[in-house]
Amino acid sequence: MAEQTDVVVVGGGPGGSTTASLIAMAGHRVILLEKENFPRYQIGESLLPATTSGICRMLGVSEEIEKAGFQVKRGGSFRWGTNPRPWNFLFALSPRLSASNSTAFQVERMKFDEILLRNAQRLGVDVREGVAVQDAIVTGGRVTGVRYDGGEIEAKFVVDASGNSSRLYKYAKGNRIYSDFFKNLALFGYFEGGKRLPAPDSGNILCAAFDEGWLWYIPLADNLTSVGAVVTRDQADKVRGTQEEREKHLLGFIDRCEIVRDFLKDTPRITTGTYGEIRVRKDYSYTNESFSAPGIALVGDAACFIDPVFSTGVHLATYSGLLAARSINSVLAGQLSEEDSFAEFEARYRREYSVFYEFLSSFYDMQSNEDSYFWKARKVTNFSVTDIEAFVTLVGGVASGEAALTDADSVVSRFRTSSTDLNRAVEETGTMQTESGERMFKLFGTKVVSDVMQGMNEVQSRGVYGTRSAENPVREGGLVPTDDGLHWHDPALSPTA
Amino acid sequence: MGAGGELTAERIRADVLEVLEADGEEIADDDDLIDLGMDSIRVMHLVERWRALGAETDLVALAEKPTINGWRELLTKS
Repeated sequence: MAEQTDVVVVGGGPGGSTTASLIAMAGHRVILLEKENFPRYQIGESLLPATTSGICRMLGVSEEIEKAGFQVKRGGSFRWGTNPRPWNFLFALSPRLSASNSTAFQVERMKFDEILLRNAQRLGVDVREGVAVQDAIVTGGRVTGVRYDGGEIEAKFVVDASGNSSRLYKYAKGNRIYSDFFKNLALFGYFEGGKRLPAPDSGNILCAAFDEGWLWYIPLADNLTSVGAVVTRDQADKVRGTQEEREKHLLGFIDRCEIVRDFLKDTPRITTGTYGEIRVRKDYSYTNESFSAPGIALVGDAACFIDPVFSTGVHLATYSGLLAARSINSVLAGQLSEEDSFAEFEARYRREYSVFYEFLSSFYDMQSNEDSYFWKARKVTNFSVTDIEAFVTLVGGVASGEAALTDADSVVSRFRTSSTDLNRAVEETGTMQTESGERMFKLFGTKVVSDVMQGMNEVQSRGVYGTRSAENPVREGGLVPTDDGLHWHDPALSPTA
Repeated sequence: MGAGGELTAERIRADVLEVLEADGEEIADDDDLIDLGMDSIRVMHLVERWRALGAETDLVALAEKPTINGWRELLTKS
């Protein structure tokens, strides 16, 4: 007889911990299976306020996160586009309007992920480490549990939060579609410090474009900087080799990017321990055609991933975890049908992925370099049929009150408009640490940025005011969160719940 | 939809008081709201809510006149 529970969560990263915690907080039994023993290394170190002051507050873990001593960031700094000097994308609208919730953190994921996992344990989640899930159990067309080495667990719901190498995502039906536009790979390592941007931007992530792609430069601590090159996937052969070959290529990319080369002058690379390895990620920017099926929901990288230039990885994971938890809690409480509840999960998650997809496409489009194969291929006018079809599938039935996005021309034309608006706003905002460069009104005033901020603002508002935050449906007939933030309810039935 | 209703002068004041977690006596209609704790996330939250009611909102204009009366002028001048 297999063990039984309400929900099995596969994977103990931020997406899994968030989902498991929020389901346990609603009083249900949750088993979380994690294949590694924490702490363990992970990439994706730059966070957004929606996670640090939204989700973390809902999880009751924000004080612990604040005490952990992570590097504070007030935004991102970009050497990108036509401005030869770095410009800022700040979380606060203006210096006068900045507050403690206008910052986020750069984190060593070994530490951050473990704090969230231990917090899940304290909230009643049965966390089991060193357990690798092998497959899902399907009964009569429904996912009804998981099989791992040594046993089976039956559950009313399975949440797949097992990352990009997930073995379960295919149970959500549909294919995983890889983006042609963001067909990149990342090659990354760590340095013993290096220069910092002038205060108050010294904790910001710096993203700097160069001929062959762009580099991230993330200050994790005074003596620890994460540096990665994002280049075309066609370079995969070059980085397949030994550590020595990888190092040669990473240092070569750094050498061809002026600002990062200058920041790392005379700074040794870390060559021992967890941070001593140079790593590669190739499989990125993809989305599943479906994020759920009867009995299963996908969150985080198991469902989709998009280029890291705006630090969206952990946000998409924790945000989708929140959405999945609300949907599952509502069904377990007998308040909504699984069909309605999962439709809301799908709609909101797809919306979030597609607004970032549009924003990041526009962001890439800003960088022009006629002599560069990398940048010429990343203009929105060069969108491939596969990408356009994937985007249309993604937003199908989600976008409301806008021109129908059913054909290639309308998608490209919309992305061009977004790109032009973004470019203009970035130019008008100007260089970092100038009077205009401290004020984000132009940027936040563009439709593409305002779309991106909407979901994140809702999560943050809920973190900040708890139950007093009223939210709007994202589609005709859509659901809204209940006051406790842990369930959905239908606003057509009653104005509050 | 979720929030319901239309954007009236009373509604603007009530929403501002709500996000600042203040009661009516603490805040006058001409007080500078930024001095009273208005911040980016609160402004964007209000803008989102008021847009859902059909209001034309302009972040720059709102930030330049951060008082309840200032916002009433900007948002209810139909």
